[in-house]
Amino acid sequence: MHPADLLRRSSFRMAMTMTLVIVATLLLAGGVGYGLMHAQLSGRQDARVMEMFRSLELAMQAGDQADLVEAVTSRIAASPDQASVYLLTDQSGRVLATNIQGVAPPQGWSSVPADLDGITANYPYRVFTGTSGAYRLSVGLTDADLDDLREIMAGSLGWSALTVLIAALGVGAVLATRMDRRLAGVDHTMNRVAHGDLAARLDLSGRGDDLDQIAGTINGALARLEGLVEALRQVSADIAHDLRTPLNRLRIRIETASAKAEDGLPITDDLAAALTEADQINQTFAALLRIAQIEAGSRKAGFALLDLGALMGDVVEIYRAVAEDAGQTLVAGPTGPHQINGDPELLTQMCANLIENAIRHGPAGTVITCSVVEKAGRICASVADTGPGIPKPERQNVLRRLYRLEKSRSTLGSGLGLSLVHAIADLHQASLALDHSNPETGTGLTVRIGFPAV
Amino acid sequence: MRILMIEDDATAADYASRGLSESGHTCDVLADGSDGLFQATRESYDVIVVDRMLPGLDGLSMVRALRAAGIRTPVLFLTAIGGIDDRVEGLEAGGDDYLTKPFAFAELLARLNALARRPPVQVVKTTLVVADLQLDLMQRTARRGGQAIDLLPKEFTLLEVLMRNEGRVVTRTMLLERVWDFHFDPKTSVVETHISRLRAKIDKPFAVALLHTVKSAGYSIHAPR
Repeated sequence: MHPADLLRRSSFRMAMTMTLVIVATLLLAGGVGYGLMHAQLSGRQDARVMEMFRSLELAMQAGDQADLVEAVTSRIAASPDQASVYLLTDQSGRVLATNIQGVAPPQGWSSVPADLDGITANYPYRVFTGTSGAYRLSVGLTDADLDDLREIMAGSLGWSALTVLIAALGVGAVLATRMDRRLAGVDHTMNRVAHGDLAARLDLSGRGDDLDQIAGTINGALARLEGLVEALRQVSADIAHDLRTPLNRLRIRIETASAKAEDGLPITDDLAAALTEADQINQTFAALLRIAQIEAGSRKAGFALLDLGALMGDVVEIYRAVAEDAGQTLVAGPTGPHQINGDPELLTQMCANLIENAIRHGPAGTVITCSVVEKAGRICASVADTGPGIPKPERQNVLRRLYRLEKSRSTLGSGLGLSLVHAIADLHQASLALDHSNPETGTGLTVRIGFPAV
Repeated sequence: MRILMIEDDATAADYASRGLSESGHTCDVLADGSDGLFQATRESYDVIVVDRMLPGLDGLSMVRALRAAGIRTPVLFLTAIGGIDDRVEGLEAGGDDYLTKPFAFAELLARLNALARRPPVQVVKTTLVVADLQLDLMQRTARRGGQAIDLLPKEFTLLEVLMRNEGRVVTRTMLLERVWDFHFDPKTSVVETHISRLRAKIDKPFAVALLHTVKSAGYSIHAPR
């Protein structure tokens, strides 16, 4: 990441803002502390200066000049490094004793700068000047302690502020880089999605943080989108594949008919056959669209509370005669009543498809038993026949669109029956299981659909 | 019968209107929804055929406007989108029937006939009669020539639908919808089976057949002509 980009990263900017607030607080607290300490120390210094002045004031009032000069001189001698300063003058301004030259401090409190002739110390002096008797005396103490205090405070505050700033810059940069890496991952993934790779998913850090939650939601949306697009793609592919064959047959029929017509031969049969082909294409198309519509889940709105047992009973009633005509027996086993939530129209079609499959693929003498029972908290609808059944390896395939067992290619139908049942079951959150009706002989087909109970 | 057809597919409209004219009806064809609405409010028709998707004003809005204007002419929707929701939407908007494209002409004709002759106010009939066949809707009993016929509930409904449309063709799809409430095309011969069972009860024991198969169209019940 370019350093200039760093400033644009929200995580870095947040770290910087936090740092500035902390440094400002630190400086403010330090300043207040310094002020308090300074006030305390300078109060004490003033008291000491005053004490020094008072001790000499008595000598000044006594009026013995020799004694006074002696006292001041001895004090000057006691401060060879000029930590304390003295200036004694008489009323005419003549200097009697001093260790600071060339200054005339005013009456009362004052400050004497350090850069005077003959002074080696670097600090200014705090000076008190008073008049007593015939003399004027200035007494001062160096400001060294206060000055040092200021320097120490300024230094320590400055360094710690600098350290905090540098540390925050570092942490901010690390955080920004890490966040940037995760966001770059999101950016990259979404770009792939935008370019059509719907299988792309966001990485989860596994920490369960806010970014993980958003990534989880986005991944969920992507999975759903991928499913829908895949369903759509599948439909287009199925249509292209499965309609091309009958369309081609239709074309051949029409070609034959038009050739015959040129020769003056009767073409009624060819036209009737062409019509049948066209109807077949239309049916397949309608079934494919219906499956796609069901799979898209747009039919949830039509759900209502209904008795699945009664519904199954009605459908059995409708098909009983059809089975009889085919030399088969259709019987209703136990059927309820069992309430479920569902779309009555689709469930009717589901039951009808299952029964029609059994009738169409079973030989004469087949017995078809339909029942609806409650089992382990689910409402289980089943259609069991004694027909040939479906071999285990083929079972998943028959649920796919347009798939038909090789041997049933000769019988009528578009191969959409079971996949439509599958789609309807999925819409109702129902489980779908295919099994042999008679596991010992490996014959018969039983389709079980388990609906969630209300 | 005077028919207004609002359909923007010229080929389909031409095919249907030619067929309707040959069947002795007059048919006005318009291609635009708002023109259709104007025409329907200005002239009087026996039945109106409306495509769902139209330029100008779509079929649904057109029929809603028509019904809001108090015009009760029966409407048949044509739709290329055969979804259940679309069908329900069409009927809720004020349509009386629907037909999914592509359709057989016989289907269109049968449905238009059924619609146009549907009485504006349903006369409460308790007994339907075709020749010597009588159906008592209150008692749920059937008699022919004074002899009682034992019918299963669905057979009774099947016969009722046919007799209500006496002399007119009722198609296989119409029967599936009205008798069994099947809105899909079954892969087995459900309709044929039940028709043949019904025939065995109402026609076979008698000299004259009343229930007739109309080739590549449907079924019709009527007295011998």
